Amino acid sequence: MTQLMSSEMAQPTLQVENLTKTFPGVIALDDVSLEVRPHEVVGLIGENGAGKSTLLNILSGLYAPDSGTLKMNGKEVSFKGPRDSARAGIGMVHQEQSLVSAVSVAENILLGAEDQSLTAGWYRWSSLNRRAQRQLDKIGSRIRPTASLGTLTFAQKQMVELAKALAVEEEYDGQPVIVLDEPTSVLESDDLETLFAEIERLRQVASVVFVSHRLDEVLRVSDRVYVMKDGRCVAERDPKTVDVDELYRLMVGRESSGQFYREAQQAPVRDAEPVLTTKGLTKKGCFVDVSLEVRPGEVLGIAGVQGAGREELSRVLFGADSYDAGEVWLSGKRVRFSSPVGAVRAGIGYIPTERRLEGIAQGMSVKENVLLADSRAVSRGPFLDPRLVKELVSQWVMKLNIKTPNIDADVANLSGGNQQKVILAKWLSSPRVKVLILDHPTRGLDVGAKEDVYALIRELCARDMAIILLGDTLEEVIALSHRVVVMRDGSISALFEAAPGRKPTPVELVKWMV
Amino acid sequence: MHTLEKLRDRASSAVGLTGTSSHRWASRLINAGPVVALVILVAVFSIANSTFLTGGNLQTIGSQLSILLVLAVGMTFVILLGGIDLSSEGVMAASSLVFVLLASNDRNGNNFGWMAVAAGIGTGALFGLVNGVLHANLRIPSFMVTLGTGAVGIGVATVLFGGQPPRLMDASLRTWGVGSWLGVSALLYVALAVLGVALLVQRYTRVGRYGYVIGGDEAIASLSGINAKKYKTGAFVISGTAAGFAGVMASAQLDVGDVNIGKNLLFTAISAVVVGGTVLSGGRGGVLKTFVGSLIIVVLGNGLILVGVSPEVQIAVQSVVIVAAVAMTSWPLRRRVRVVK
Amino acid sequence: MDGVTPMTEMTQTKNVHVGAGSSQSRLIAILPLIVLIVLVAAVTIRQPSFLNIRSLQSLSISLAPILLLGLGQTFVVLTGGIDLSNAALASLGTVLLAMWLPHFGVGAAALMIITLTLLGFVVGWVSATAQIPTFIVTLGAMGLWGGVGMVLTGEATVQIGSSYQAIAWVRDTLFLQIPMPAILAVGAVLLAAALMATLSSGRKFQAIGLAEQAVLMSGGSTFLLRCVAFALSGLCAGLAALVLTASQYSGAPHLADSLLLPVIAAIVVGGTAITGGRGGPMRTLVGASIIVVLRVGLSAIGVDAAYEQVVYGAVIILAVALTIDRSRMQVVK
Repeated sequence: MTQLMSSEMAQPTLQVENLTKTFPGVIALDDVSLEVRPHEVVGLIGENGAGKSTLLNILSGLYAPDSGTLKMNGKEVSFKGPRDSARAGIGMVHQEQSLVSAVSVAENILLGAEDQSLTAGWYRWSSLNRRAQRQLDKIGSRIRPTASLGTLTFAQKQMVELAKALAVEEEYDGQPVIVLDEPTSVLESDDLETLFAEIERLRQVASVVFVSHRLDEVLRVSDRVYVMKDGRCVAERDPKTVDVDELYRLMVGRESSGQFYREAQQAPVRDAEPVLTTKGLTKKGCFVDVSLEVRPGEVLGIAGVQGAGREELSRVLFGADSYDAGEVWLSGKRVRFSSPVGAVRAGIGYIPTERRLEGIAQGMSVKENVLLADSRAVSRGPFLDPRLVKELVSQWVMKLNIKTPNIDADVANLSGGNQQKVILAKWLSSPRVKVLILDHPTRGLDVGAKEDVYALIRELCARDMAIILLGDTLEEVIALSHRVVVMRDGSISALFEAAPGRKPTPVELVKWMV
Repeated sequence: MHTLEKLRDRASSAVGLTGTSSHRWASRLINAGPVVALVILVAVFSIANSTFLTGGNLQTIGSQLSILLVLAVGMTFVILLGGIDLSSEGVMAASSLVFVLLASNDRNGNNFGWMAVAAGIGTGALFGLVNGVLHANLRIPSFMVTLGTGAVGIGVATVLFGGQPPRLMDASLRTWGVGSWLGVSALLYVALAVLGVALLVQRYTRVGRYGYVIGGDEAIASLSGINAKKYKTGAFVISGTAAGFAGVMASAQLDVGDVNIGKNLLFTAISAVVVGGTVLSGGRGGVLKTFVGSLIIVVLGNGLILVGVSPEVQIAVQSVVIVAAVAMTSWPLRRRVRVVK
Repeated sequence: MDGVTPMTEMTQTKNVHVGAGSSQSRLIAILPLIVLIVLVAAVTIRQPSFLNIRSLQSLSISLAPILLLGLGQTFVVLTGGIDLSNAALASLGTVLLAMWLPHFGVGAAALMIITLTLLGFVVGWVSATAQIPTFIVTLGAMGLWGGVGMVLTGEATVQIGSSYQAIAWVRDTLFLQIPMPAILAVGAVLLAAALMATLSSGRKFQAIGLAEQAVLMSGGSTFLLRCVAFALSGLCAGLAALVLTASQYSGAPHLADSLLLPVIAAIVVGGTAITGGRGGPMRTLVGASIIVVLRVGLSAIGVDAAYEQVVYGAVIILAVALTIDRSRMQVVK
C-alpha cells in the first residue's frame, strides 16, 4: 500500500475528541483531545496516574469511554474489543508482551487473523508465512516467519510485536496508527538505536504514538509532544524548541495543599537507631545497590515511575520476593526472610497495591480479616475467645471509622476505602508491628478516606511506627514524608529532606525520576 | 542513556525462554532428553536381557504400544490446553461394550461389522463432547468433569456388561485385532495411522494450533478474538474419540467387551505424555513428543518385566514418574507468593 | 489510573460473589439437608422397614468409611485442593493393619494410623514444595499406594486370624444401639466441627481456600497448613481403614478404592465447594448420609447396582456445577 506524503493540511489519521472515562472514585480521563497526523511520530508523556494507560486501553479497545469520540481518517469508530480496534487500524505494542512462545513468528503476527490463509479449516502455511513476511519487511527485520518464538531474544520479540501491530494494515484500508507503550524500558542501548531506526522507517507506512516516561527519548523521536496530567491533556509542545523545565512543570506542577496532608502534624523524627536498614540490596532485573534506613516515627517516602523498582523493593523487604545481594537489618539484627511469615513475625506489616487479592481475604468477614495477621491477643491458649474478638474488632472499627453493617459482614462488600482500613486494622491490631510498608495506600480511595489515612499515618508516627511509603502521587509522598528517596531504573537517584515548611517541590523530584 | 540490562532478563523470564544462547542450548537439551533416554533404555535392556531385541519381543512391544499410543495422542490435545482427561478408562469401557455388542457377538444377533467400530468410536466422541461442553461452558475444572464422566462411562459399561463379558465373533475384526503384516501387528499400523492424522490436525488445523495459544496464555487468546470455548471442546472431543478408538482396538485384540478393558491405562497414558515432554500446565509439547514418551513407557515396562520386576511395581513407578516429571518441569516456576491448587 | 488493568475492571463489574451470607450460599447450606430429609421420606414410603433398628444399624456401618474418608477429603477441599488418593491410602491401610495385627495387637491400629498420617503429610509436602497441582500429586499418590499395597500382598487378600480379637471391638461394640464404626465416624466429624469453630486457627483451611494470597501476605504459613490438611486426610484414611478391616475381617490392596467416587460425591452434594473456602465437616455429614441413603433407595426401587457409577458421576458433575464459585476463577483449566 503506497502512501503519498501528505501535506500539513491533510486530515489527521487519528482524532481523539473529548474523551472522558471514570472509574469508581476516580476520573481517569477528563475531556481529553488530541490528534495524530499521517507520517507523524507523536510523543505522550505524563507521570503515574496521568491517564496515559487509560487512554491507551481505550484506543486498543479494552475499555469503552464514557463519552467522547474517536475518529480514524475522519470516520468515527467505536470498539467492542481489541479485534475491533485492530480492524480500525490501530496497532498496539503493549508494555507486557502479548506473544505465545510455543507457536511460530508468523502465527503470532497474525493471531486471530488467519482466516485468509485457511482453506476449509486447513492452514496454508505458505500464505500465512508470506503475509507475515510482508509485515516483517516493513520494519526491515531478518527474522524468519517460520521461526519458533521461543528461540528469539527479547529484542527480537519486540520486533515481532511491532510486526504484529503493523498487521492491522491488512484489514484496514488506510494508514494505520502504531502505538508504542513504554517500548524502551527494557532495552539496552544497541537495541534502543535499532528501535529508533525502526520508528523512522515506520513513518513511511504509519503514524506512531510513542508513550514513555523517558523524556529524552520522547523528545528525540517525536514531531510533537502531548503532556498529560490528572487525566487531562494539558499541553502540546514542539520537542525541538521546548524547555525541559517547562515540561516538568507541566507534568507535575500543582497547587499543593499542606492542610490536606496534615503537614502541621508532621513532628520531627527523634534521634534513634534506625529500625530497618538495607545495605546494597540488589535484585537482578529490578533494582541495584539500594541502601536506605528508616527510624522509629519516621515516614520514608519512595518516589519513582512505574518500573523504577519501588514495588519490587517493597515486596522484597516484606519477604514476598527473594533478593540476590545485599543485607537487611531489623532493630540492629541481620535478617533474611524466606517468606512473609518471617517478616510478619519480626514485626513488618505490608499494605499491598493489589488490595483485593493480597490485602483482604474476600469471602471472609471483617472480623476474620482484622485477625488475619495475629490473633494471639484474642486467644486463650489455642482457642479463640469470642468476647475478646468482638471487643477488639469493634474497637478498631470505631477507631478507624470503618463503615460496615457489622463485624461479621463479608469484607468483599465494603467500599475500597473501608477495605483499606480493614487492612490497616489488621496490622495495627498486632502489637508486634514496628515497620509498616505502604504500597500505594490511598489508591482508589475517596477524599474522606484519604484524609483518614493521612491522619492515621501522623498518629502512627507519634507512636514510633516506622513507615515506608510508596505514594500514589508526588504530592502525597512529599507531604507525608520526613525524607524522600527517588528511584530511577532500579537505583536510588536522589535523597531529599522533607521537613514541614521546607518541602521539595514535585518539579524538583521529577527531574530525578525520568 | 538508561542501560539496565538486567531489566531485560526480568521481562524475558516473564515470557519464558529468553533465546539467549545459554537458554537455547538448555531448551535443545530438554527437547532431546526423552529421545536420549529412550536410546539409553533400549541399550540397557538389550544388554541386561538377550531376549529384549528378539522379533517376538519387539512384536509384543509393538502391540502394547498401539493402544497406549492412540490413547496418549488423544490425551495430548487436552494436556496442551492445560487440562486433563481422567475419563479415559471409563470411555474405553463404554466404547468396548458398545462395539462388541453391536458387532457379531455371542450375546445377541447383531452383526454390524464396521458400523460397530464407528459406533464404538462415536461413543468416545460423545463422551468427549460432553466433557468439553461441561468444562468450557460451565467452567468446571477438567479433572472434576472427566472424573464424573469417567464414572458414568464405567457405569454404562457395567450395565451393558451384564455380569459376563460378551465375546467378539466377527472374524474380520478379529484378524485386525490379532493379525500382523510384515511381522508388525496390524493394530500398530492403525495406531501409527492415528498418530499421522493427529499430527496433521496438530499442524494444519485451528484445533491444533489454537490449543498451543490457549494453553500458553488464555488471556492472549481471548484478546485476539479466539473463541477459546470452541477449541477447548474440540480438544476434548479428540481425546474422547481417541479413547473410543482405543477401546475398540483393545476389544478387537482381546476378543471381548470388558468393563476393565482400560484398566491402569490412564496412568500409563498420562505418563507417556508427560515423559515425552508435554507439560501439564499446557502450551508446550506435541504428539510426536508423546510418541517418544509412549515408546519410553512401553520399552520401560517391557524391559522391567524381562528383568523380573513385577507389573504391580510398574504402576507405582509410573505414578512416581508422573509426579517427578511434573515437579521437574514446574520447578523453575516456583515463587514465594504463588498459589497453586 | 495506572495499574487498573482490564482484568481488574472486569472482575469489578462482574462480581457475582458467593459471599458469606449471600442468597446463593444460604441455599447451598440448606438445600442438602432438605434433599436428605426428602430422600429419607421417599425411601421410607417405598420401604417402610428402612427406619427400623436393624436397617439403620447396617446403614450406619456402611456410612462410616465414606464419612471418614469424606471428612479427610473435606480438609483438603476446603483449602482448594483435592485428594484423589485417600481411598487408595485407606486400602493400603487395611493391608498394613492386617499384616501388623499378629505382631502388635491393638497397637497395630495406632501404628497404621500414624503411618498413614505421615504419608498424607508427605503428599501435601510434595505438592506445596514443588508448587504443583494437588490433583496431579494425588493422582500419582493413588497409583503409588495401590502399587505398594500390591507388592506387599502379592495381590492377595490378607486374612486376619485370631489376632482379629484386638480390633473386634471396632465392629462389635454397640453404644446406645449405635454401632461403633458410626460412633467413630460421626464422633470424628463432630470433633472436627467443634475444633474448627473454636480454635483460633480453626478457619485457616477456609481462609486458604478463599484467599490464599491474602493469607500469605498476612504472614500466614500456608505451606504448613497445606501439609496439615493432607496429614488429616491421611489420619481419616487410617480410621476408615480400621473400620473397613474390622468389618471385612481382612485387608486387601484395592479394598477401599471404589469409595473414591462416592466420597467425592458426598463432599460436593453436601455443599462444600470444590473451589475451596466454603463448607465443612457437618456438610460432609449431610452429604455422606445422602449418598448412603441414595444407594439404599436405588436398590429399593430396583435399580441395578451397576447404575451406581452413573449416578455418582452425574451427581458429582451436577453438584459441582451448582456450587462452584466462578467469580474467583478467571482461567479454568
